[in-house]
Amino acid sequence: MRVVAAVLAVIWLAPLAWALDTALKPESETTRIPVSWFVSGMSLDAFGRVFADGQVLAWLGNSLLVGVAVTVLTVAVTSLAAYGLSRTRFRGRSLVLALLVAGIMVPPQVLIVPLFAEIVGLGLADTYWALVLPQVVLPAMVYVLKRFFDGVPRELEEAAVIDGAGRLRVYWSLMLPLARPALAAVAIFTFVTTWNNFLWPFVAVSDPHLMTFPVGLTTVQSSYGVRYAQVLAAALLGGLPLVALFLAFQRQLVTAIKG
Amino acid sequence: MKRSGFWFVAPFLVLYVAFLVVPMAIGLGASVTDEGITGHAAFVGAANYGELFQDPVVWSSLWHTLIFTVTSTPVIVLVGLVMALLADRAVPERWLYRLAFFAPYLLPVSVVVLIWNWLYQPGFGLINDLLTRLGLGEVGWLSTDGMAMTSIVITTVWWTAGFGFLLYLAALQEIPHQLYEASALDGATPFQQLRRITLPLLSRTHQLVIVLQILASLKVFDQVYLLSGQGGIPGVRSIVQYIYESGFTRFRVGYASAISYVFFALIAVIALVHFRLTAARGSKR
Amino acid sequence: MDRRTFLLAGAALATAACSGPSGLGYWNLFSGGDGSRMMDMVGAIDTRLDAVTLAWGTPYYTKLAMAAAGGRAPDLAILHLSRLPGFAPLGLLDPFDNDLLAAHGLTPDRFPPAVWNRARHDGRTYAVPLDTHPLVLFYNTELCARAGLLENGRLKPIRGPEQLLAAFDKAGLALAAARDVNPWRLFWTLYRQQNGQGLLDDAKALTALRLLAKIGATTRFTDNNAAVALFGSGQAGFFWNGEWELPTFQTQHTPFDVAPFPQVYDRPAVHADSHSFVLPHQRSRDPQRTAETVAAVAELIGQSLTWARGGHIPAYQPVATSQEYLKLAPQADYRSAAAEVELDPPEWFAGAASDLQSAAGATIGAVLGGTTSPDGALDELKATLVRLQNTPRPA
Repeated sequence: MRVVAAVLAVIWLAPLAWALDTALKPESETTRIPVSWFVSGMSLDAFGRVFADGQVLAWLGNSLLVGVAVTVLTVAVTSLAAYGLSRTRFRGRSLVLALLVAGIMVPPQVLIVPLFAEIVGLGLADTYWALVLPQVVLPAMVYVLKRFFDGVPRELEEAAVIDGAGRLRVYWSLMLPLARPALAAVAIFTFVTTWNNFLWPFVAVSDPHLMTFPVGLTTVQSSYGVRYAQVLAAALLGGLPLVALFLAFQRQLVTAIKG
Repeated sequence: MKRSGFWFVAPFLVLYVAFLVVPMAIGLGASVTDEGITGHAAFVGAANYGELFQDPVVWSSLWHTLIFTVTSTPVIVLVGLVMALLADRAVPERWLYRLAFFAPYLLPVSVVVLIWNWLYQPGFGLINDLLTRLGLGEVGWLSTDGMAMTSIVITTVWWTAGFGFLLYLAALQEIPHQLYEASALDGATPFQQLRRITLPLLSRTHQLVIVLQILASLKVFDQVYLLSGQGGIPGVRSIVQYIYESGFTRFRVGYASAISYVFFALIAVIALVHFRLTAARGSKR
Repeated sequence: MDRRTFLLAGAALATAACSGPSGLGYWNLFSGGDGSRMMDMVGAIDTRLDAVTLAWGTPYYTKLAMAAAGGRAPDLAILHLSRLPGFAPLGLLDPFDNDLLAAHGLTPDRFPPAVWNRARHDGRTYAVPLDTHPLVLFYNTELCARAGLLENGRLKPIRGPEQLLAAFDKAGLALAAARDVNPWRLFWTLYRQQNGQGLLDDAKALTALRLLAKIGATTRFTDNNAAVALFGSGQAGFFWNGEWELPTFQTQHTPFDVAPFPQVYDRPAVHADSHSFVLPHQRSRDPQRTAETVAAVAELIGQSLTWARGGHIPAYQPVATSQEYLKLAPQADYRSAAAEVELDPPEWFAGAASDLQSAAGATIGAVLGGTTSPDGALDELKATLVRLQNTPRPA
């Protein structure tokens, strides 16, 4: 069993190892036949050139900006909505709940064409707004948080209300702290999804300066011909932050993805 | 008090309406026009819907999507399960398995495609080099339609098996140890334990993983589009890819919206059928 | 990493992300040799251009159209002239001001009429051609000499289908046929050499397809990379493709020369296209920036000689007729092709990397590969054309 596991792990890591190996080779060695794992002159040069070029860093910066913005907005609006739906009754509440369930059914892929038309109509094409706002709509997150709030005993809240705290106060200083694990799960899930999202950012912006990392990496080319070591160095550089994050936050991530 | 509840929901609702309800409405409206990418449109009635049912590319893209779904789903589920069973054992190198099996799932699709494109290269590609060394012939991984689909499935398995792995791993950890201890006392072999205890207790996870995987596969775009390269490979084009191409490469926003709606209806039907099936089974229990 | 460093790193990245373009935005699709020559040209001019290269072909044209539709397109872009009928009528391009062009010496009389006419739509000028790039016939001087096909070191004129087939048979041919747009270009050349009109004259199309079937029988069925490798390594006497492959063979020191595409039928004609400069549509166009853009176009066109080293024939006649260009070998040897160029038919679904080229390319490629008969291919081709012509043109 242990051998099988080890073999499978090696097979699974091999593509990454090979990419790293290529990224460390001098450009002239990358396409040599027969293939060799160890050549002379292995160095970090390709990574250095990626840094010096700056474009990949700018895309990573965009990814970070968009990822953080989407995550913060999502956590804010979904937790507010979840609290409202869980703890208050208002006219149209059942309509909103029905809309939520219906929204979970809509695959974002079927929206890309009309959404692009809408973004163009609003004059938002090729802006950060176009990258951020449509990605904030995650009805499933409202649902997850609502179920969490539903599970919080009402007595806790009633005590606070008797003390004269308003609804917003209760939400902010009582419910949010209680919901920290659930919110962390929502935040991590949202960030990972946004960071790796390809299709909508690919449609939303054409300006290479606004592209997120996954889009820029495949859309923009080097004018100086294909440089495999450099391309793979860029790919690894952009791919590794999340893997590192996984190592750091393994447990929370597992909860998030299970949720 | 009655009104204040609505204000909690309002911010989400504004975004929800603006970027989900409104585009749905725009799409429905556009699907009965000849709208182009620059927005000018004239009413054409049901012409787009009539056209799409006669469009051989719509059918072939649906077919490729189906092929992709039925070939990749079982492999991904099985590999994910095997990985979880292997990594659930209490061995010191457990963290390595978790990293190895789950890391690819955290990579953006562009990185995955770049790495695999590199592996699939003729001549200096790692896979073809290995085949040559073993005395086997090179394979044109992306040069024929059939091989291209296989290559896309292989890449997808590598990329996404980690998702099922994680769900299975979580489910395995919730199985009480006493069950195994008791059965071991009864003289059950590990294989019998697997068949009689582990797999039956994972049935809900099987269902979850399979359904999520099928729904994700039907919406496939990224890796198919990116691995196909500049000209695309007509023999692997997925339905979402055809929506993208109709709207943005051929500038036919109206027609693309119509295909989107038909595809949406298809997904909704599949989801409803699944819902009915599970509801029926649930009530039997 | 503590929280402070993390925040600082985040801030640094965000600043990197927000620092926008400083020069005029310029999109092109040139990589490899063309890419570095274009970067040389961009570096040599006074106007600052913020040049970006996107993946060639369909991805490039998709992005360009989406940027133009979105209203925040780059100031300047490269467009294959054959794609103009798909872009200009939709409002995806902004027209040039003729007076502004004239002020920089970019007047119609300084460009080949066949190309300049295609740069116009609805009475306005939408493109300024940089080059024409026709198909040519590369030949290996050693192999062809051995086959007795040379005369004074140059290829003997080839006239008519029989001579063409005999030559290919003797010295060997490398040809891109698999999964490529090249078969369409060959077909269109042979079709227009018979003066075939419109889409499509059955008898003339069939003649062309039958010849292609015979040509295909003389060669291995390969894609372009393999064909380039075959010719470059001296395993084929002829290579039939665009002049843009020229630098590849120069760097490989293949003993080769280039001849214009032979005249097989009634009139000289050869499939070609033209890289041209266009102004993608911008929602709020700034006249000042537009004036700078036109100045940059004039400056880049002034660098045409650099561009010509890559094999392309300069469209700008003051360069095309200059002593420096005429001394450029072998480029100047096939310059006559510029007068005989046949772009794709002026249809919205035609042009470089278009639906027509890839769909027709697959059918005609199968004829070259011997898996489809010429008659069968004609039916398929007509079906493709009917489908494309019946596709409602986007509004």
